[in-house]
Amino acid sequence: MAQQVKPHYRIVEQRRRAFRTTLVVFFILVQLVWIGVPMLMAVLWSLVNPDYPWSYPQVFPSHLSFYQWNYVFKFTDIVRAIATSYSVAPSATFLTFLLALPTAYILGRRKFPGREAIKILILLPIIMPGMVVALFLSRVFSFIGLDQNFFGLILGHTLMAMPYMLRILTTSFEAIPQDIIDAAENLGAGSFVKFTEIFIPMVLPGLFAGTIFSFITSLEEFNLTFVMGTPTFETIPTILFAFLGYHFIRTNAAVVALILMIPNITMLFIAERFLKTQYLAAALGKM
Amino acid sequence: MREKTRLSTILLLIPGAGFIFIFLSAAIIMTILQSLGLFSITRASRFSLEYWQTLFDREVIDSLLFSLKVGLGSSLGTLLFSYPLALFMRKRFFGRQSLGSLLKIPIFVPALVAAFLIINLIAFHGIVNYLLQALGIIHEPLRMLRDKFGWGVLFIQVWKNTPFQLLIISSSLETIRTDIEDAAMNLGAGKLALLRHIILPLSIPGILVAVILVFIMTFGDYAITKVAGPVYPISLSIRMHTTATMFQEWNRAAGIGVIIIVVSLLFVWLYSRLARFLQGSM
Repeated sequence: MAQQVKPHYRIVEQRRRAFRTTLVVFFILVQLVWIGVPMLMAVLWSLVNPDYPWSYPQVFPSHLSFYQWNYVFKFTDIVRAIATSYSVAPSATFLTFLLALPTAYILGRRKFPGREAIKILILLPIIMPGMVVALFLSRVFSFIGLDQNFFGLILGHTLMAMPYMLRILTTSFEAIPQDIIDAAENLGAGSFVKFTEIFIPMVLPGLFAGTIFSFITSLEEFNLTFVMGTPTFETIPTILFAFLGYHFIRTNAAVVALILMIPNITMLFIAERFLKTQYLAAALGKM
Repeated sequence: MREKTRLSTILLLIPGAGFIFIFLSAAIIMTILQSLGLFSITRASRFSLEYWQTLFDREVIDSLLFSLKVGLGSSLGTLLFSYPLALFMRKRFFGRQSLGSLLKIPIFVPALVAAFLIINLIAFHGIVNYLLQALGIIHEPLRMLRDKFGWGVLFIQVWKNTPFQLLIISSSLETIRTDIEDAAMNLGAGKLALLRHIILPLSIPGILVAVILVFIMTFGDYAITKVAGPVYPISLSIRMHTTATMFQEWNRAAGIGVIIIVVSLLFVWLYSRLARFLQGSM
């Protein structure tokens, strides 16, 4: 016999590998459907042509157009809401950064009693029920004239973004090896030089991640804006809520949903591209 | 010198941690005081327990039970997806990285957008009903949106929270040392025994954190339940918001707010108890 017979264990190994590959492919397909189909439906709904309505039992709309996008931009408050959202988000992010930097430095570099308790305290804005905080913070704000006020809105968003910025910056400060700081001190570096030459460059990736997280948190913040902002200030989420709740108009909601979602996912991929997953874990993971 | 360090520590903690402390405690104190009749807006402000005495009527109890159901249902339902996924993602395989990024997308989808995305699928004439009918599994479309049970809300919460739990559980699975697994395998443990006796017990702290966090977030949810939940019962947060803004009964709303906070804290406390119990230090 010219052809050599494969040993049994080889066959088993090969079949197992094939099985595993099939499983992986199957899983990826399931995930594509799980994530992709909802997205595709939203895109299709935003492109429905009103002259050829997309109705049961059509699986796909027969004609597509940009009519809905035009309509939403022309006849709704979306332009103003985009302007509000994109002016609140950078302001809140900047304020968050300014306030978080000193605290994160202390939490990351100094040992003191009560440190663990403070690390739990800074998580509370994520954990506390959003609507309760929103409603009764708005009562507090109304006593000091910050309800229905642009600065009050920024303060509220800062509160919600603070945990992410603090956690990420704290982990970045913690990750700086003490040797480098000691070496710099030996070589005669003062506080200022240490700060500009060591701390700032080494926490820069964390700062970038924290900024993205704060920005996204502010963009998608709903409860506080809904209670303290509407009707004076509309942001993209409150507009979407109106389209989903009071008068459900699916095509308009689709357009607004995409306006809200696309920048977020883009930022996620930028963050993924430039950062390691450790930042994601720092922001959301291990408590 | 030491005094000086302590002072600077406190001063530098104030901007970040102090900010959170002041605003959150202001909100919580305001909730408690208003539920006791103080700081009243629409009525005379005076201390009284009348709001607490009349708080637990049929509607509030129904809302409380509904919120508990949604919280438990979504946190445990999400676990059904996230735990097997986390186990699967432990292995190295081709395309793992891109699958990982794909999986994470729902974290970055805002809650209301997630609600809208899933509403499109499970609507009365949505694609899920269409497929089920085409396959002959059902003859009439199922009502999954604004249904009495709240399936729509559960679908949305599971879709939105799966990657969040996945991330937490994955990071706890990563801490399991491979030599323990190797030792078990050497001693003749099969895959199932390995999962039951090594991996599952060691990943329980991560599972608990993941479940409790999703519970708290879904228990106090307003937006998703408002958009996709049943007309009655409504969630506690919606009940609170309507009571405050529609009926202008802020003191009663504050009482509901206190219930939401207390139940959330109760579950956090239960979690810490359970975690310590399972680690055997109790």
